[in-house]
Amino acid sequence: MARMKFYCDPERCIECNACVTACKNENEVPWGVNRRRVVTINDGEEGERSLSVACMHCSDAPCATVCPVDCFYTTQDGVVLHDKDICIGCGYCFYACPFGAPQFPEDGAFATRGKMDKCTFCAGGPEADNSSDEQRKYGSNRLAEGKLPLCAEMCSTKALLAGDADTISEIYRKRIINRSASVMARGVSYRDASFRAPYNAAGKSSAKE
Amino acid sequence: MIRSKILQFDSGDGTPAGWLLLLLLLLYSLPLDTIAKEAVSRGLPSAAVLNPAAELWRDVRQRDQPTTGSTQVRGVDSGVLINAYGDRWRKFRMQQLIPIGGYMLMGIVVVLAVFYLVRGKVPIEGGESDRKLPRYSTYERMIHWFIASIFLFLAITGLILLFGRPVLIPMLGKETFSILASACKEGHNLMGPLFLLALILVFIKFVRRNIYQKGDLSWLLRGGGIIGPKHVPSNFFNMGEKTMFWMLVLVGSLIVVSGLVLVFPLFGQGREWMELAHVGHAIGALLMIGVIIGHIYIGTIGMEGAIEGMKTGYCDLNWAKEHHDLWASRAEARGEALSNEAVGQLRDLDPLPSSLGARTQEAGK
Repeated sequence: MARMKFYCDPERCIECNACVTACKNENEVPWGVNRRRVVTINDGEEGERSLSVACMHCSDAPCATVCPVDCFYTTQDGVVLHDKDICIGCGYCFYACPFGAPQFPEDGAFATRGKMDKCTFCAGGPEADNSSDEQRKYGSNRLAEGKLPLCAEMCSTKALLAGDADTISEIYRKRIINRSASVMARGVSYRDASFRAPYNAAGKSSAKE
Repeated sequence: MIRSKILQFDSGDGTPAGWLLLLLLLLYSLPLDTIAKEAVSRGLPSAAVLNPAAELWRDVRQRDQPTTGSTQVRGVDSGVLINAYGDRWRKFRMQQLIPIGGYMLMGIVVVLAVFYLVRGKVPIEGGESDRKLPRYSTYERMIHWFIASIFLFLAITGLILLFGRPVLIPMLGKETFSILASACKEGHNLMGPLFLLALILVFIKFVRRNIYQKGDLSWLLRGGGIIGPKHVPSNFFNMGEKTMFWMLVLVGSLIVVSGLVLVFPLFGQGREWMELAHVGHAIGALLMIGVIIGHIYIGTIGMEGAIEGMKTGYCDLNWAKEHHDLWASRAEARGEALSNEAVGQLRDLDPLPSSLGARTQEAGK
């Protein structure tokens, strides 16, 4: 079986937040919940990079390990899902997750946590595929329709990739080889080889030395 | 020679695989320092310069500190790319807290069971006397049982949440346990803040009698009377009770403060704070549960007459003399000792239940 993975290429991500918006729209997520977010590091400085982050569907998921009610499960496609009927909203998965994927809608007074919500890789939940219950609790189930997650499908620069880990790593491997090769061919260092629009006049090398 | 080979490969297919071979050839046919030297001699920066992003990603993955960026998503910690402490917290919870905590509690129960089998119930050596000393007022007993019931409720619900997955899910199944766990979580969150109130009331009422005094050290050195044949004299509270009181106050405060950090996630406290609070909450609570198991043991099967004071407000004079001699002698000298009949009459006339009843009746009309 396939093992589904996301990969976000920071050399390509332009922080347009379209993945965030697409996810919110496709899955009708509650207020205050963002299953996906774009984080920009060194914003406005040289070496700025952006990354789109959501649940990474870990092979050995920390959230599933710490869950006191054991509500997580991994599908045959390697997608980590959870059962909202079992979740008690304790927040432990949020403490353990490296990526900050689990989100909690506010439920009642004093910001009490409701049932956890996170990226489902557009694969719904334990209910019957594309049933109204599944739609209401988990949003869209595109995987059952043979489609990939919408965030990656509509990424304009194809920075965000989703699909079988073998395919994705093959695409990324080719990108890396091309980049390294172009660095070597141009005879400049990696630092000076900008893969994006250069800061200065077009075509002119930004090398200072 | 090499150059012509590269050209051959390049013109041959021009695919990335060709480029890979080119790279490999460059890397393996020449030592790296030769490439670097050549590049320098040609006035170009070294080809061996790393991708600057590599440094960035190493920082992100080192997990010494969370790498924080900016994001359009509003929320606590949403700019943190990798939660550096999550993995440590997971290891603490799964590899230390649950197994060690479980064995510790079982160990305490086993030790007490063995102690009971060896020592048995500690009797009142002089037998029950015909006189009693007033030990706790109605108010004191009320706040004791107030904090006791809240503590027991919080301990049981907390233990269900902590050990439920390994212990109860195999018995009940996930669905049933989820209902129980959900009720435990809601109840725990609801009653938790009340524990603070109970703790404050208990602290104010009992603190004066729990200040350590002369004689407490000798009580400790003789293990509270376990070592040696004779009872150790002590005041109103003995050294063990005082220590339990101060543990309740200090560890209890830690539990309350960390619990409040966890229960109200609306003050912008991030995951690090909540993970830290959870560690303190869990260790403190298990420690306190262990202490309270000992406290309950003495009150129930461990010692004859120990619970009488908290149950009725009066304790047996002989029990008091054996266990709290300094206080008992003073109280007796002040003429506080009452005959059993007098105590029985006083308890019948206890104003609290009757007045409460009258008030309830009035409210009913």
